[in-house]
Amino acid sequence: MSTYEYVPEQPLIKGKHNFSSITALVGDLVEKPAPAGWYIAFGIAVTLLAVLLGSIGYLVWEGTGIWGLNNPVGWGWAIVNFVWWVGIGHAGTLISAILFLFRQDWRTAINRFAEAMTIFAVICALVFPGIHVGRIWVAYWMFPLPNQMGMWPNFNSPLLWDVFAVGTYFTVSLLFWFVGLVPDFATLRDRVKSKVGRIVYGIFALGWRGGNRQWQNYEKAYMILAGLATPLVLSVHTIVSFDFAVSIVPGWHTTIFPPYFVAGAVFSGFAMVLTLMIIARKIYGLSDIMSDDHIEKMNIVLMTTGSMVGFAYIMEFFIAWYGAVEYERFAFINRAFGPYAWAYWTMMACNVFSPQFFWSKKLRRSVGFTFFISIVVNIGMWFERFVITVTSLANDYLPSAWDYYTPTLFDASTYIGTFGLFFTFFLLFLRFFPMVAIAEVKMIMPQADPHYYDKHDHAEVNEKQTV
Amino acid sequence: MSKTIEGKTYWRSLNELSQTKEYQQFLHREFPENASELNDGQSRRHFLKIMGASIALAGFAACRKPVQKILPYTKRPVEVIPGNPIYYASAIPFQGSLTGVLVQSNEGRPTKIEGNPDHPASKGSTSTHHQAAILNLYDPDRSRKITHNGEAKTVSDLAAFIKANATADKKVVFVSEASSSLTLAAVKAKLGKKFKNFTWFTYEPFNSSSVESGNEIAFGTRLRTINYLDKAEVIVSIDDDFLGSAVNSVINTKRFTSGRKLSDSKGSLNRLLAVESALSLTGSNADARFQVKSSDLNAFVFALAAQLGVDSFKGYSNDFSQHEGVAALAKELSSAKGKSVITGGVTLSKEANAAIALINEALGNVNKTVSYVKAESSGESTEAFKMLVDDLKKNAADLLVFVGTNPIYTTNSDVDVEGAIKAAKNTLHLSDYVDETSKLCAWNINKAHFLETWSDGRGFEGEESIIQPLIQPLFSGLSDIEFANLFVDGNFTTGYELVKETWKSALSTKEWEKALHDGISPKASAYKAEKVSVSSKISTVLASALSAAKKSSGDSVELVIKPDAKLFDGRFANNGWLQELPDPISKITWDNVALMNTATAKKLGLPIVDSNANTYESYQNMAPMVTISANGKSIEMPAWILPGVADNSVTVTTGYGRKGVGRVASSYEFSDFEIVGFDVKGIRITGSEFVVNNVSVSATGKEYKIACVQDHHSMEGRAIVRFANLDEYKEQPMFAPDMVKTPGVKSGKMFADPLFTEQSFPEYEPQWGMAIDLTACTGCGVCTIACQAENNIPVIGKREVSRGRELHWIRVDRYFVGDESNPSVVYQPIPCMHCELAPCEQVCPVAATTHSDDGLNQMTYNRCIGTRYCANNCPYKVRRFNFFNYAKEYLTTGDDPEIVQMAMNPDVTIRFRGVMEKCTYCVQRINRAKIETKNATGGSVKPTDGTVVTACQQACPADAIYFGDINDANSKVAKMKANERNYRLLDELNTRPRTSYLAKITNKPADLVTA
Repeated sequence: MSTYEYVPEQPLIKGKHNFSSITALVGDLVEKPAPAGWYIAFGIAVTLLAVLLGSIGYLVWEGTGIWGLNNPVGWGWAIVNFVWWVGIGHAGTLISAILFLFRQDWRTAINRFAEAMTIFAVICALVFPGIHVGRIWVAYWMFPLPNQMGMWPNFNSPLLWDVFAVGTYFTVSLLFWFVGLVPDFATLRDRVKSKVGRIVYGIFALGWRGGNRQWQNYEKAYMILAGLATPLVLSVHTIVSFDFAVSIVPGWHTTIFPPYFVAGAVFSGFAMVLTLMIIARKIYGLSDIMSDDHIEKMNIVLMTTGSMVGFAYIMEFFIAWYGAVEYERFAFINRAFGPYAWAYWTMMACNVFSPQFFWSKKLRRSVGFTFFISIVVNIGMWFERFVITVTSLANDYLPSAWDYYTPTLFDASTYIGTFGLFFTFFLLFLRFFPMVAIAEVKMIMPQADPHYYDKHDHAEVNEKQTV
Repeated sequence: MSKTIEGKTYWRSLNELSQTKEYQQFLHREFPENASELNDGQSRRHFLKIMGASIALAGFAACRKPVQKILPYTKRPVEVIPGNPIYYASAIPFQGSLTGVLVQSNEGRPTKIEGNPDHPASKGSTSTHHQAAILNLYDPDRSRKITHNGEAKTVSDLAAFIKANATADKKVVFVSEASSSLTLAAVKAKLGKKFKNFTWFTYEPFNSSSVESGNEIAFGTRLRTINYLDKAEVIVSIDDDFLGSAVNSVINTKRFTSGRKLSDSKGSLNRLLAVESALSLTGSNADARFQVKSSDLNAFVFALAAQLGVDSFKGYSNDFSQHEGVAALAKELSSAKGKSVITGGVTLSKEANAAIALINEALGNVNKTVSYVKAESSGESTEAFKMLVDDLKKNAADLLVFVGTNPIYTTNSDVDVEGAIKAAKNTLHLSDYVDETSKLCAWNINKAHFLETWSDGRGFEGEESIIQPLIQPLFSGLSDIEFANLFVDGNFTTGYELVKETWKSALSTKEWEKALHDGISPKASAYKAEKVSVSSKISTVLASALSAAKKSSGDSVELVIKPDAKLFDGRFANNGWLQELPDPISKITWDNVALMNTATAKKLGLPIVDSNANTYESYQNMAPMVTISANGKSIEMPAWILPGVADNSVTVTTGYGRKGVGRVASSYEFSDFEIVGFDVKGIRITGSEFVVNNVSVSATGKEYKIACVQDHHSMEGRAIVRFANLDEYKEQPMFAPDMVKTPGVKSGKMFADPLFTEQSFPEYEPQWGMAIDLTACTGCGVCTIACQAENNIPVIGKREVSRGRELHWIRVDRYFVGDESNPSVVYQPIPCMHCELAPCEQVCPVAATTHSDDGLNQMTYNRCIGTRYCANNCPYKVRRFNFFNYAKEYLTTGDDPEIVQMAMNPDVTIRFRGVMEKCTYCVQRINRAKIETKNATGGSVKPTDGTVVTACQQACPADAIYFGDINDANSKVAKMKANERNYRLLDELNTRPRTSYLAKITNKPADLVTA
């Protein structure tokens, strides 16, 4: 009979923290004046937001023609950006819902953050389906609203499924995020000094007093919402992928799209969380909560999903060959060696090759390197959507219709503008919201362990609970 | 403006009566019409662009729909039922020949031109120029008034001037366009009697003078050649683009394609062989084609005549006697004696055209497949014009009168028309536009469009017609007859009176009415075929030409100048439809280019972009600019590499590079570019105005963006245009449908089973379908223009076309097949396929595109929100998107947008920005026919076969398009679809297209069929 040596898990919160120091660490960020850097960043973000609004205004005034679209390529950067932002918006709910159900306690350090990112990314994404249509003022016809025409939308259309899928995802993500925020809002309400702050946080805290009954209901609700959100994580990008997969365009019409899109979405979402987290933990001094262990764990997810995406890329080629449809074969060879080969190889390098560095423990614990790769992955994932959308349309069935798509200044300004929208929201979140789930982090601290007096396990815990 | 007039209000127009703001502005302007803007660099539109923001705010209140007023008739004109068009017969004059047309009139405004089935030059079809003529009528840039040195004058001022100055003792010189008008001839005769020193010179830059002179050499009389291509089994074209730029291209196409119709694999085809330097429409339809430099074609013809043993060529040989083309053509022609036609182009020398006439005579074709007739001159040679102009510089004319023609732009650079004009005491110019010649002439008289005035004339083969107007002159212009008649006695007589006078003796009142109704004189009026015999002096006349004929040096580069397929000599330059129509071969819009093949471009050191490479560069259409110079003169234009051009040969076309003529021709209105295309006049000199030898071509290092609508020339081995040679077809009649196997088709079934419930198409509705015969289609592109005219498709301009946003509902795809040095060309018109399982319908989120019970894939503009998903999912890429508010741009720019608005078809919706549009199978025509059938039968909505004719089908001179009810087994279209050549494009996708194609069958000579 062999014996196993018990290897205690590394504590998730580094440093000598207790409940009150955690509360102070996070709560002070909201209560104390923002650093000068915040104002600079906010200024830039708002400027970019103005660029977005200006671009949209010009678009509404002049027409879709200000973008680089042409006859074979009816979808360009707008749809690329939409899919990319939705993909980014995947990580939050995955981290908070799926990892919650799997009892991955390390998620508590980043879930608030990631969920906020999700909400804002989905807002950025939702800008595009609204504005990319030719007649923006009647875009609401996509909703099944009662109207004098007696018309339903076309329930066969994947674009309509998109409206429902993304809409549902956004609603559930928002609710989930808000429910998680309630105890922390209560904490802030109790700590904040300004009267206005007290009232506002008080409203959002929904009368939370931290009672046993409240906690019991809260945890049930949280669990149910996590259960509801989990299928949505999978469904939303599956349905986004249907926009392509249900069509008959060679290069779009592929059954591998749903899992491949979901993997890609998790991949890009984690990369974005890493990017934001590395900056925030540095600036706000949160390395104890968001430790190098977190970075390492996330890098492992990054490497796994990156390899899944890479597998999908190769499988697409295999099926194109195996399926023996000449148009599809051409579409894939054209991706790799046609006029957009530069985009294809950018995608391959960023998405498939770059995460492989994380096989090395040293590299996946290196903060600087992780930051670099997280940016690279997001570039790569943008190119993946570009490659899928544009190369397939530009060279499809009839060679007489082939053309090349070149984006215009307005394509670029609209895309860059959405970063303004995203960071405006995100910086406001950092300023006024508890950026770490205070209550949840406390739950995973050794002090919260109910076996505190049991000497037989968790022997290394010897600090007194002090609240 | 306060009303101070007491009592009766007198008014000049409804606008004045209503005292609108526009009218008040009109009163306060120095020049009422366009004049103050003509030379204004900052046009109104530019100003608007700059002032965009303030206008944007000011115009907010009216940003949706402008308020327009409609008024009912108080007294209804006889026969006019609002909403129902009326058709009138008329005729289009072009280069002195008439083509009979039926013109559609909606509430008094002509809106569409169709061929007249009773007219022998049309037989119901039209050419691109005919279709586009309606837009010329409504061109706001037309010359609008009579001016003398810039001052507005009236007709009576002009008449008074002529009365005072055109006295019998004066030297009077008229230079006019070719015209076959009998009335004008009568006026001319009167003028000849009146003036002692009188010249009437007919000037056409691309006339048939070389052919007519050739016939004169051969047979002793100046004769016009008429080819009965329908009776020929073998047709040889030596640089004669009889399907394309010829004045009688419509009937030529009709006759040629009548020998290209196959009902089954037992049929036979005629055979077309072409010799030319660069692909013309005719050459691209040839079964075998030989590329010979244009400068060598004369020698080629002589060698061919010798090979065929034509009497006057016995024992003759030159550098081409051993040419494979000479041997092949001789073999083909001699095997079809009396059943062949050889025809020569206007660029050949008159001696070569004489040799061609002699070959026809020797083969016994005369009066079987070829006739020679005495006809009005189609114009005199440029040598003669140069002599006239040189003479006028020395002996100035008292009155130099230009009728319709624009020699300053169209003639050769060494003909100093400007000098002659400056020398003349008085100059008058009757013209459509204030053009290059007008600007030098003292008197500018605005010419009326042919739809505005009475005239008459003869068709190419002599049939007499009366041109009847459909509308009062929009700008009170004068016709050429009315104008010339002023010189008779200085009194104005209306065109109607003049024409009536001419026909008074020939036709009784009843016959006159019948002539007007039918569009053709009821009396037999075609030219009589002459009996010809070879001139006795032939050998001596040809001797010097024969001895001089030799092959040009292999290295020397020649420049060939041709009339443009769209703008011709420039007279259509301000026509947006023609400017935007892709050239049939190069598929270039809005520009002319110097065409050359890859070998020549390499030799000249130009950057080569392989258009089949599918690279970034191959889609950019950046053409290198080159300087082409010869004889100390040079022009600069973009070079364009295209297969099918002979080595060391460069081809350019005329008609472009117009300055200050109109908003389209000198386009600042529609694009970023200041001038459309490049003027090639600079390098043309008399004697070598069509072919310039020994030119030097050098790259300037600059690049120029070309708007080309088809960037990829190869089918990539896909079964898109399916074609076979006749012998292959006979062996394998089902080759076309068998080319691609559709997966999932069970035996005995036509289609694979779909996944979803299919829409049922009820029996009581007709089921519309279309068949396009690729064997007949010549690729001319008239379907595109006819569709544009019928369906109110806006002109979007070069910038938008170069961004790949062309808006045409039916396009003609052109692919090159085979050897790049001498490729075969296949054409494929692509309208909407009206798929029964339409991929576009599936994906539209708002159900804006749906299927009708009669099988149409409908587009509901009002419902469309513009996601463009349908266009993405259309495998045929026939859907077109309004990226900008093209219709508004097209219909509301300029000072009086009402004019171009008059050209619109009232039965077709104008599309707003942001909606998708596409071919509707002319649903407005379908529904009109269904309503009429229902009214007539009391229930059935199935119009009889042939009642519904789509615009493309109606215009097609090759009769390549069939349309009708596919459920009716006896309908023409159903029979065509039962043909074994019938195939559905991309059938393997199970889209079940209602438009199908009949595979192209060629008839290559057996010994020229290469693997």
